[in-house]
Amino acid sequence: MSSNKIPNWRSDFPIRDKEAIHVSRREFAKFLSLFSGALALGSGAIVVKALAFPEGKPEGEHFICDDSEVPSGSMLQFELGGNKTIPYLLIHLADGEWRAFEQKCTHLSCAVHYVAENDRIECPCHKGSFNSRTGDVIEGPPPRPLPQLEVVRKEGKIFVRSFKNS
Amino acid sequence: MSDFRFSQNQASPAKTNIIMAGIIFMLIINISVQTWLLFGALNNALQDNLFFAVATFAGSAVLSLFSFWILRFLPDPLESESKK
Repeated sequence: MSSNKIPNWRSDFPIRDKEAIHVSRREFAKFLSLFSGALALGSGAIVVKALAFPEGKPEGEHFICDDSEVPSGSMLQFELGGNKTIPYLLIHLADGEWRAFEQKCTHLSCAVHYVAENDRIECPCHKGSFNSRTGDVIEGPPPRPLPQLEVVRKEGKIFVRSFKNS
Repeated sequence: MSDFRFSQNQASPAKTNIIMAGIIFMLIINISVQTWLLFGALNNALQDNLFFAVATFAGSAVLSLFSFWILRFLPDPLESESKK
């Protein structure tokens, strides 16, 4: 009875070509179960990442540049470090006000840029656009406003800090 | 000993086929739900929402355990006629 049983090594390394490429439904079902386990592990990895590397808001004030470096109606890209480097946009609006937003579009994280002619922040990937004063979505697929930093101007120097109420 | 199995196989010859197809169907449904949960957990909008990540992980883990558990009902491979 047991002599008829095919040893594992033989089924793993079959001689005939047809046996090597054949995937039985049993094997397919086992593969699906393994894939299911891999998806559960992936979900677990997200939890571990969220617990081990929490995203923190930038603390304190950060010097960005002198205000003369960014003429009215233009923008400057800068990055703030921490446990993760995040790109931001510093915008000098036409009416002289300053704003700073995260540069990652809230849709699919493409880099957004300020377009002075429209007075909007636009995403080139899917034509999303944001209000350049509030960061609110004007049109396109982005689901949320751009995260914003507070801009502080002191003696001709531009600093940013996170909003205290956010 | 007993010929119950033989009679049963004669009464419903497609039984093994149906069980196998049903298990594979359930596994595919499981994987679809797990993919949906993973997609939700990866959403940028929910990155600050730890509860959602934990809930999706728990759901995905339960579905995964079910996927492994259901393998015990896989029909045994048929012995080929030549070996008998």
